[in-house]
Amino acid sequence: MNKLGDSLLAFIGELRAAGIGISVAESIDAMNAVTAAGLERGPLREALAASLIKDEADREAFDGAFARFFGAPSRARGIHPVQRGQAESAAGGRALPGETPIAAQPAKPRAEAGRPQEKISDASKLPAAQGPSHEQRDQVEGSAESGDTHEREDEPSDRRSTEFGPGIEAARVARMRTLERTPFERYSDLEYDEAREALAPLVRRFRIRLGRRLSAAKAGRIDFRRTIRAATQRGGVLIDLRRRARRRRHLDLVILADVSRSVRHAAGLMLELIAGASGCFRRVSAFAYVDHLAEASFEQGHLVTSPALDLYARSDFGRVLAELWERRTGLLTRSTLVVIMGDGRNNRRPARADMLREIARLCRGVVWLNPEDVARWGTGDSAIEQYARWVDALLPARDLHELQAAMLRVA
Amino acid sequence: MTHAMEITREAVAGGLERARYVTNERVTMAIYLALALEKPLLIEGPAGAGKTEVAKVIAEMLPSELIRLQCYEGLDEARALYEWNYQKQLLRLQADEDQGLSWEQVSEHIFSREYLLERPLLKAITSVRKAVLLIDEIDKADEEFEAFLLELLSDFQVSVPELGTLKARARPVVVLTSNRARELSEALRRRCLHLFIDFPGVEQERRIIELKVPELDQRLAAEVARFAGAIRKLGLRKPPSIAETLDWARALVRLGVRELDSEAVRAALGVLLKHEDDRAKVESKAASLATRSR
Repeated sequence: MNKLGDSLLAFIGELRAAGIGISVAESIDAMNAVTAAGLERGPLREALAASLIKDEADREAFDGAFARFFGAPSRARGIHPVQRGQAESAAGGRALPGETPIAAQPAKPRAEAGRPQEKISDASKLPAAQGPSHEQRDQVEGSAESGDTHEREDEPSDRRSTEFGPGIEAARVARMRTLERTPFERYSDLEYDEAREALAPLVRRFRIRLGRRLSAAKAGRIDFRRTIRAATQRGGVLIDLRRRARRRRHLDLVILADVSRSVRHAAGLMLELIAGASGCFRRVSAFAYVDHLAEASFEQGHLVTSPALDLYARSDFGRVLAELWERRTGLLTRSTLVVIMGDGRNNRRPARADMLREIARLCRGVVWLNPEDVARWGTGDSAIEQYARWVDALLPARDLHELQAAMLRVA
Repeated sequence: MTHAMEITREAVAGGLERARYVTNERVTMAIYLALALEKPLLIEGPAGAGKTEVAKVIAEMLPSELIRLQCYEGLDEARALYEWNYQKQLLRLQADEDQGLSWEQVSEHIFSREYLLERPLLKAITSVRKAVLLIDEIDKADEEFEAFLLELLSDFQVSVPELGTLKARARPVVVLTSNRARELSEALRRRCLHLFIDFPGVEQERRIIELKVPELDQRLAAEVARFAGAIRKLGLRKPPSIAETLDWARALVRLGVRELDSEAVRAALGVLLKHEDDRAKVESKAASLATRSR
């Protein structure tokens, strides 16, 4: 591995440390890209970005790392004359011209500052075969000066572009990312609203996957009678196959969502997610509960329960289960899937796990989504472990990301 | 026919200019790398920022044939790759009925290339000359389809069970575009070079307008670009695309507008904005936007 390769690897290591996933194949791509693009600073940056950064949200981190690693003219413009002098002297000192930007880094008190420096001293010893070809070298050397001015011309246009329009999309994407990973319990109301807006594409994806899973194979069985009938139109030649319309798999959904203070954000988002995909089920009955059961629906984006619930009451899931059991006729059947969203914190009231067992026996399945940290399951007043025995799946749903994953598994 | 172009950075930049595509270094570099490394190029960005245009421009630049696959929900292999021409096979069977051919002879015959309907992906692979394959709006396709694309993107080959593996004769230039309707898989991202195209800056958009609508007064072109840039920042339901800005510029030419005042803005706003509430939002601010844009 030559010096350039080493420094690229170190750079990739830095990106990985910044949380950007880069595969081995991608680092090979990056090496090829650099070979193709040359060592001028601008092209080098774009070549590395195109081959290493696969998400615009990561671009900021990349730009930061690039500036740190390969010198930062934009930040150092205040001390520009000095820097430029350094850059020129480095170029004059037979260092690899392409690496002049590294020299432009004025011995910063950073850990990796030592590496590029020692690289330059070694660079002149590099056999030509390993470095860029002589023509390339001359060309780069010739353009070192012009490249510098070019860089400065670039700056204002960059700044302009952030002033007008561009960047908005990228910023939104980055914001979404962090939001997706923020645990529900730390949500502010503002974040909750943002998450609800972000739900739209999610609902769409959920609906698509659900729809596909619930429908039978795309091409149904061949309908013999209709095929023959179609064939008679063509003199008995079996040209068009007619298939039976596929039959829908019926699935009823009963949702119990805890809307008490502790988990209301998670419950709200889940109810909305399911409301968007309600077309995929034969029937969806959504209930919200705190200490008793209430039918829940969305009206103009607001969760409406009837009868109204006291959000500050103490959760009592045991009572909720008993109420559900009373309503079971027509509601709980063999094709019903019960989805429960809650932390199972019962304030030390009777858990009534036996009721859950009876319900599970009656239904197709019971799934419990828990928005609480896994480590805290079963601690304090949590009765989750008593319930866990009777549910088919107990899944964590701490943040939007996990909620998505869990919902897809449920379906 | 012109000679296939040599791939250098300068040639790509020149080619883009000849194809009248105004762009920046980032885009030029990504296109150059996609051509030089023969890797697929994944382009993301808001709708109307010119993603699809990149593929068209590459095809024009090389020059080569543009093969386009528009993705949609439920797109499957049969629509994207190949399908046996079932009707033709059946007709063949009927016609051969009294010739008493053995099963081997029959099946060998009806599963030959003659009975294969080539869909865009297979067409791009089997094309003798280098083709440009545009897989548009990959985010609209199902995840299964995305997984299916992986073999094609990394090895440029596809497997047809009856015929074996078909390898690309000339590696096509593959361009994928996505609007982020859903997240693409990491596996797909890994195999592609990535390019993010955002809306152009005011200066860039002015150059685009001058190039594509030369009849528009230069000063007005700058104002139009500034105005479009400003209203994209208003958080509209659908910010105007570059194509719409160009349409608007053409409309202004037709209307004989000399000055971009609030009157002129209102006159042809329907070209730029396609939602009533967006329109109301911009109209209420038209006066201030128009004056600011001067």
